[in-house]
Amino acid sequence: MAYSTKVVDHYENPRNVGALDKSDVAVGTGLVGAPACGDVMKLQIKVSADGIIEDAKFKTFGCGSAIASSSLVTEWVKGKSIDEAATIRNTEIAEHLALPPVKIHCSVLAEDAIKAAVNDYRAKHAVGKAKAAE
Amino acid sequence: MNEAEATAAGGGAISTCWSCRGPVAGDSIFCATCGAVQPPADVDHFARLDLTPTFDVDADSLDRGYFDAQRRLHPDRFATRTPRERAFSQLQAVSLNEAYETLKDPLRRADYLVTLKGGEVAPEGCSLVNEQELLHEVMERREELAEADSVAAVEALEAAASDDFGRCIAALSTAFACDDLPAAARLTTRMRYLGKYIEECRSRRTRLGRHT
Repeated sequence: MAYSTKVVDHYENPRNVGALDKSDVAVGTGLVGAPACGDVMKLQIKVSADGIIEDAKFKTFGCGSAIASSSLVTEWVKGKSIDEAATIRNTEIAEHLALPPVKIHCSVLAEDAIKAAVNDYRAKHAVGKAKAAE
Repeated sequence: MNEAEATAAGGGAISTCWSCRGPVAGDSIFCATCGAVQPPADVDHFARLDLTPTFDVDADSLDRGYFDAQRRLHPDRFATRTPRERAFSQLQAVSLNEAYETLKDPLRRADYLVTLKGGEVAPEGCSLVNEQELLHEVMERREELAEADSVAAVEALEAAASDDFGRCIAALSTAFACDDLPAAARLTTRMRYLGKYIEECRSRRTRLGRHT
Protein backbone atom coordinates (compact mmCIF):
# COMPACT_ATOMS: atom_id res chain seq x y z
CA MET A 1 0.00 0.00 0.00
CA ALA A 2 1.38 3.40 -0.96
CA TYR A 3 1.29 6.18 1.59
CA SER A 4 0.28 9.67 0.45
CA THR A 5 3.07 12.25 0.16
CA LYS A 6 1.68 14.04 3.23
CA VAL A 7 1.91 10.88 5.33
CA VAL A 8 5.45 10.24 4.11
CA ASP A 9 6.41 13.84 4.91
CA HIS A 10 5.11 13.60 8.49
CA TYR A 11 6.61 10.15 8.90
CA GLU A 12 10.07 11.19 7.68
CA ASN A 13 10.03 14.62 9.37
CA PRO A 14 7.71 14.21 12.33
CA ARG A 15 6.83 17.54 14.00
CA ASN A 16 6.98 18.05 17.74
CA VAL A 17 8.32 14.68 18.82
CA GLY A 18 9.15 14.59 22.50
CA ALA A 19 7.67 14.96 25.93
CA LEU A 20 6.45 17.67 28.28
CA ASP A 21 6.57 17.48 32.06
CA LYS A 22 3.61 15.30 32.96
CA SER A 23 3.41 16.65 36.53
CA ASP A 24 3.18 20.31 35.40
CA VAL A 25 -0.40 21.58 36.05
CA ALA A 26 -0.28 23.43 32.71
CA VAL A 27 0.32 20.14 30.85
CA GLY A 28 -2.40 17.74 29.74
CA THR A 29 -1.40 14.19 28.72
CA GLY A 30 -3.38 11.80 26.56
CA LEU A 31 -2.26 8.19 26.31
CA VAL A 32 -4.20 5.90 23.96
CA GLY A 33 -3.59 2.72 22.03
CA ALA A 34 -4.89 0.30 19.42
CA PRO A 35 -4.41 -3.27 20.68
CA ALA A 36 -5.01 -4.89 17.30
CA CYS A 37 -2.05 -3.04 15.76
CA GLY A 38 0.05 -2.83 18.93
CA ASP A 39 0.11 0.96 18.54
CA VAL A 40 0.55 3.30 21.46
CA MET A 41 0.29 7.09 21.21
CA LYS A 42 1.11 9.80 23.77
CA LEU A 43 0.04 13.36 23.04
CA GLN A 44 0.74 16.26 25.40
CA ILE A 45 -0.36 19.89 25.40
CA LYS A 46 0.95 22.87 27.38
CA VAL A 47 -1.83 25.35 28.03
CA SER A 48 -1.46 29.04 28.90
CA ALA A 49 -3.45 30.68 31.73
CA ASP A 50 -6.04 31.93 29.22
CA GLY A 51 -6.66 28.45 27.82
CA ILE A 52 -4.53 28.62 24.64
CA ILE A 53 -2.33 25.69 23.65
CA GLU A 54 1.24 27.02 23.59
CA ASP A 55 3.06 23.80 22.88
CA ALA A 56 2.29 20.23 21.89
CA LYS A 57 4.45 17.11 21.80
CA PHE A 58 3.84 13.52 20.85
CA LYS A 59 5.44 10.12 20.96
CA THR A 60 3.91 7.35 18.90
CA PHE A 61 4.98 3.78 18.36
CA GLY A 62 3.05 2.45 15.43
CA CYS A 63 2.62 2.53 11.67
CA GLY A 64 3.34 5.49 9.42
CA SER A 65 -0.30 6.62 9.44
CA ALA A 66 -0.44 6.66 13.24
CA ILE A 67 2.77 8.70 13.44
CA ALA A 68 1.57 11.11 10.71
CA SER A 69 -1.87 11.52 12.39
CA SER A 70 -0.36 12.43 15.75
CA SER A 71 2.30 14.66 14.20
CA LEU A 72 -0.38 16.55 12.25
CA VAL A 73 -2.57 17.01 15.35
CA THR A 74 0.30 18.58 17.33
CA GLU A 75 0.78 21.06 14.46
CA TRP A 76 -2.92 21.86 14.29
CA VAL A 77 -3.57 22.42 17.99
CA LYS A 78 -0.78 24.92 18.62
CA GLY A 79 -2.34 28.37 19.06
CA LYS A 80 -5.85 26.91 19.40
CA SER A 81 -7.95 27.08 22.56
CA ILE A 82 -8.50 23.78 24.36
CA ASP A 83 -12.18 23.94 23.38
CA GLU A 84 -11.26 24.25 19.70
CA ALA A 85 -8.70 21.45 20.01
CA ALA A 86 -11.32 19.13 21.46
CA THR A 87 -13.48 19.57 18.35
CA ILE A 88 -10.88 18.13 15.93
CA ARG A 89 -12.48 15.18 14.16
CA ASN A 90 -10.75 12.13 12.85
CA THR A 91 -12.40 12.69 9.46
CA GLU A 92 -10.49 15.99 9.06
CA ILE A 93 -7.21 14.22 9.88
CA ALA A 94 -7.95 11.32 7.52
CA GLU A 95 -8.95 13.68 4.74
CA HIS A 96 -5.89 15.90 5.11
CA LEU A 97 -3.54 12.91 5.05
CA ALA A 98 -5.58 11.05 2.39
CA LEU A 99 -5.64 7.93 4.58
CA PRO A 100 -6.99 4.78 2.93
CA PRO A 101 -10.01 3.11 4.63
CA VAL A 102 -7.83 0.50 6.41
CA LYS A 103 -5.90 3.31 8.13
CA ILE A 104 -8.87 5.39 9.28
CA HIS A 105 -8.52 3.96 12.79
CA CYS A 106 -5.11 5.69 13.08
CA SER A 107 -6.86 9.06 12.72
CA VAL A 108 -9.43 7.93 15.32
CA LEU A 109 -6.54 7.23 17.66
CA ALA A 110 -5.17 10.76 17.16
CA GLU A 111 -8.62 12.26 17.84
CA ASP A 112 -8.91 10.17 21.02
CA ALA A 113 -5.41 11.27 22.06
CA ILE A 114 -6.07 15.00 21.81
CA LYS A 115 -9.43 14.60 23.58
CA ALA A 116 -7.74 12.61 26.35
CA ALA A 117 -5.04 15.29 26.70
CA VAL A 118 -7.68 18.05 26.97
CA ASN A 119 -9.65 15.99 29.51
CA ASP A 120 -6.50 15.39 31.54
CA TYR A 121 -5.74 19.13 31.56
CA ARG A 122 -9.33 19.95 32.59
CA ALA A 123 -9.29 17.32 35.33
CA LYS A 124 -6.04 18.74 36.72
CA HIS A 125 -7.55 22.20 36.63
CA ALA A 126 -10.78 21.16 38.33
CA VAL A 127 -8.69 19.66 41.14
CA GLY A 128 -6.54 22.83 41.23
CA LYS A 129 -9.60 25.07 41.50
CA ALA A 130 -11.13 22.89 44.20
CA LYS A 131 -7.89 23.06 46.18
CA ALA A 132 -7.67 26.83 45.71
CA ALA A 133 -11.25 27.20 46.96
CA GLU A 134 -10.53 25.26 50.12
CA MET B 1 -27.79 -47.17 14.77
CA ASN B 2 -31.18 -46.34 16.19
CA GLU B 3 -32.22 -42.80 16.99
CA ALA B 4 -31.55 -42.97 20.74
CA GLU B 5 -27.97 -44.15 20.15
CA ALA B 6 -27.41 -41.51 17.51
CA THR B 7 -28.47 -38.83 19.96
CA ALA B 8 -26.11 -40.14 22.60
CA ALA B 9 -23.21 -40.30 20.14
CA GLY B 10 -23.78 -36.93 18.56
CA GLY B 11 -24.82 -35.22 21.75
CA GLY B 12 -27.11 -32.97 19.74
CA ALA B 13 -29.51 -32.65 16.86
CA ILE B 14 -30.33 -35.46 14.47
CA SER B 15 -30.47 -34.74 10.77
CA THR B 16 -31.20 -36.88 7.75
CA CYS B 17 -28.42 -38.29 5.60
CA TRP B 18 -28.74 -36.79 2.10
CA SER B 19 -27.59 -40.09 0.59
CA CYS B 20 -29.35 -42.94 2.42
CA ARG B 21 -32.08 -40.85 4.11
CA GLY B 22 -31.26 -42.49 7.42
CA PRO B 23 -30.78 -40.56 10.67
CA VAL B 24 -27.34 -39.06 11.25
CA ALA B 25 -25.99 -37.21 14.29
CA GLY B 26 -25.94 -33.49 13.55
CA ASP B 27 -22.22 -33.02 14.10
CA SER B 28 -20.83 -36.14 12.40
CA ILE B 29 -18.77 -35.79 9.24
CA PHE B 30 -19.85 -39.15 7.80
CA CYS B 31 -23.13 -41.06 7.88
CA ALA B 32 -22.70 -44.02 10.22
CA THR B 33 -25.01 -46.12 8.02
CA CYS B 34 -23.91 -45.51 4.42
CA GLY B 35 -20.59 -43.75 5.02
CA ALA B 36 -21.48 -40.74 2.83
CA VAL B 37 -19.77 -37.48 3.72
CA GLN B 38 -22.24 -34.95 5.16
CA PRO B 39 -22.37 -31.18 4.70
CA PRO B 40 -20.63 -29.37 7.59
CA ALA B 41 -22.90 -29.06 10.62
CA ASP B 42 -23.69 -25.68 12.12
CA VAL B 43 -21.74 -26.30 15.33
CA ASP B 44 -19.00 -24.47 17.21
CA HIS B 45 -15.30 -25.19 16.64
CA PHE B 46 -15.03 -27.32 19.79
CA ALA B 47 -17.95 -29.57 18.84
CA ARG B 48 -16.57 -29.90 15.30
CA LEU B 49 -13.38 -31.41 16.71
CA ASP B 50 -15.26 -33.37 19.37
CA LEU B 51 -13.70 -31.38 22.24
CA THR B 52 -15.10 -30.00 25.48
CA PRO B 53 -15.43 -26.20 25.20
CA THR B 54 -12.66 -25.18 27.58
CA PHE B 55 -9.54 -23.02 27.35
CA ASP B 56 -7.36 -25.89 28.57
CA VAL B 57 -7.51 -27.83 25.35
CA ASP B 58 -5.33 -30.90 25.26
CA ALA B 59 -2.96 -30.23 22.34
CA ASP B 60 -2.59 -33.96 21.56
CA SER B 61 -6.34 -34.61 21.36
CA LEU B 62 -6.73 -31.53 19.20
CA ASP B 63 -4.03 -32.66 16.77
CA ARG B 64 -5.26 -36.24 16.74
CA GLY B 65 -8.89 -35.28 16.07
CA TYR B 66 -7.91 -32.87 13.34
CA PHE B 67 -5.38 -34.99 11.47
CA ASP B 68 -7.59 -38.07 11.71
CA ALA B 69 -10.55 -36.22 10.18
CA GLN B 70 -8.40 -34.59 7.48
CA ARG B 71 -7.00 -37.98 6.48
CA ARG B 72 -10.54 -39.29 6.01
CA LEU B 73 -11.40 -36.20 3.98
CA HIS B 74 -8.33 -36.35 1.72
CA PRO B 75 -9.27 -35.37 -1.87
CA ASP B 76 -7.80 -38.65 -3.21
CA ARG B 77 -10.58 -40.55 -1.44
CA PHE B 78 -13.20 -38.52 -3.30
CA ALA B 79 -11.63 -38.51 -6.75
CA THR B 80 -14.16 -40.99 -8.13
CA ARG B 81 -17.16 -39.77 -6.12
CA THR B 82 -20.02 -37.57 -7.29
CA PRO B 83 -19.48 -33.80 -7.54
CA ARG B 84 -21.85 -33.38 -4.60
CA GLU B 85 -19.73 -35.58 -2.33
CA ARG B 86 -16.53 -33.88 -3.49
CA ALA B 87 -18.07 -30.50 -2.69
CA PHE B 88 -19.20 -31.65 0.78
CA SER B 89 -15.77 -33.12 1.54
CA GLN B 90 -14.12 -29.83 0.59
CA LEU B 91 -16.55 -27.84 2.74
CA GLN B 92 -15.85 -30.17 5.65
CA ALA B 93 -12.10 -29.76 5.19
CA VAL B 94 -12.43 -25.96 5.16
CA SER B 95 -14.56 -25.96 8.34
CA LEU B 96 -12.10 -28.28 10.06
CA ASN B 97 -9.14 -26.07 9.12
CA GLU B 98 -10.89 -23.04 10.52
CA ALA B 99 -11.75 -24.84 13.76
CA TYR B 100 -8.24 -26.22 14.16
CA GLU B 101 -6.47 -22.94 13.45
CA THR B 102 -8.74 -21.07 15.86
CA LEU B 103 -8.32 -23.55 18.69
CA LYS B 104 -4.62 -24.25 18.21
CA ASP B 105 -3.55 -20.65 18.91
CA PRO B 106 -4.07 -19.66 22.59
CA LEU B 107 -4.96 -16.05 21.80
CA ARG B 108 -7.45 -16.93 19.06
CA ARG B 109 -8.87 -19.72 21.23
CA ALA B 110 -9.37 -17.28 24.12
CA ASP B 111 -11.07 -14.69 21.88
CA TYR B 112 -13.30 -17.38 20.45
CA LEU B 113 -14.22 -18.74 23.86
CA VAL B 114 -15.03 -15.26 25.20
CA THR B 115 -17.39 -14.73 22.24
CA LEU B 116 -18.87 -18.21 22.59
CA LYS B 117 -19.67 -17.56 26.26
CA GLY B 118 -21.38 -14.29 25.35
CA GLY B 119 -18.58 -11.95 26.38
CA GLU B 120 -17.25 -9.04 24.38
CA VAL B 121 -14.00 -8.98 22.45
CA ALA B 122 -12.72 -5.52 21.54
CA PRO B 123 -13.39 -5.07 17.83
CA GLU B 124 -10.45 -4.83 15.45
CA GLY B 125 -9.00 -1.34 15.21
CA CYS B 126 -10.85 0.07 18.19
CA SER B 127 -8.83 2.33 20.40
CA LEU B 128 -8.10 1.94 24.02
CA VAL B 129 -8.20 4.80 26.49
CA ASN B 130 -9.36 3.31 29.76
CA GLU B 131 -6.47 0.91 30.35
CA GLN B 132 -3.86 3.45 31.39
CA GLU B 133 -1.71 0.98 33.29
CA LEU B 134 -1.35 -1.27 30.27
CA LEU B 135 -0.69 1.67 27.94
CA HIS B 136 2.02 2.98 30.27
CA GLU B 137 3.62 -0.43 30.31
CA VAL B 138 3.51 -0.68 26.50
CA MET B 139 4.97 2.83 26.11
CA GLU B 140 7.79 1.99 28.51
CA ARG B 141 8.59 -1.28 26.77
CA ARG B 142 8.62 0.38 23.34
CA GLU B 143 10.94 3.11 24.63
CA GLU B 144 13.29 0.50 26.09
CA LEU B 145 13.31 -1.33 22.78
CA ALA B 146 14.01 1.86 20.82
CA GLU B 147 17.01 2.50 23.10
CA ALA B 148 18.34 -1.08 23.04
CA ASP B 149 21.43 -0.94 20.85
CA SER B 150 22.76 -4.48 20.91
CA VAL B 151 21.38 -7.84 19.85
CA ALA B 152 21.85 -9.12 23.42
CA ALA B 153 19.86 -6.22 24.89
CA VAL B 154 16.99 -6.81 22.46
CA GLU B 155 17.08 -10.56 23.19
CA ALA B 156 16.70 -9.85 26.92
CA LEU B 157 13.63 -7.64 26.29
CA GLU B 158 12.17 -10.22 23.95
CA ALA B 159 12.68 -13.03 26.48
CA ALA B 160 10.97 -11.00 29.22
CA ALA B 161 8.00 -10.32 26.91
CA SER B 162 7.75 -14.01 25.96
CA ASP B 163 7.71 -14.95 29.66
CA ASP B 164 4.90 -12.46 30.25
CA PHE B 165 3.00 -13.91 27.30
CA GLY B 166 3.30 -17.36 28.90
CA ARG B 167 2.07 -16.02 32.23
CA CYS B 168 -0.96 -14.53 30.43
CA ILE B 169 -1.81 -17.98 29.05
CA ALA B 170 -1.70 -19.43 32.59
CA ALA B 171 -3.83 -16.54 33.88
CA LEU B 172 -6.36 -17.11 31.07
CA SER B 173 -6.81 -20.67 32.21
CA THR B 174 -7.76 -19.40 35.69
CA ALA B 175 -9.99 -16.63 34.31
CA PHE B 176 -11.97 -19.10 32.19
CA ALA B 177 -12.17 -21.59 35.06
CA CYS B 178 -13.85 -18.83 37.13
CA ASP B 179 -15.95 -17.71 34.13
CA ASP B 180 -14.44 -14.24 34.53
CA LEU B 181 -14.88 -13.03 30.94
CA PRO B 182 -13.87 -9.38 31.52
CA ALA B 183 -10.57 -10.61 33.02
CA ALA B 184 -10.08 -12.93 30.04
CA ALA B 185 -10.72 -10.06 27.62
CA ARG B 186 -8.20 -7.84 29.45
CA LEU B 187 -5.62 -10.62 29.22
CA THR B 188 -6.16 -11.07 25.49
CA THR B 189 -5.68 -7.32 24.95
CA ARG B 190 -2.39 -7.53 26.83
CA MET B 191 -1.37 -10.58 24.78
CA ARG B 192 -2.09 -8.74 21.53
CA TYR B 193 0.29 -6.00 22.65
CA LEU B 194 2.91 -8.48 23.80
CA GLY B 195 2.63 -10.41 20.53
CA LYS B 196 3.18 -7.25 18.46
CA TYR B 197 6.02 -6.22 20.75
CA ILE B 198 7.76 -9.57 20.30
CA GLU B 199 7.47 -9.10 16.51
CA GLU B 200 9.02 -5.63 16.89
CA CYS B 201 11.85 -7.13 18.95
CA ARG B 202 12.54 -9.67 16.21
CA SER B 203 12.73 -7.09 13.46
CA ARG B 204 14.95 -4.81 15.57
CA ARG B 205 17.20 -7.76 16.38
CA THR B 206 17.50 -8.56 12.66
CA ARG B 207 18.36 -4.95 11.82
CA LEU B 208 20.99 -4.77 14.58
CA GLY B 209 22.45 -8.12 13.57
CA ARG B 210 22.93 -6.94 10.01
CA HIS B 211 24.95 -3.91 11.04
CA THR B 212 27.40 -5.66 13.34
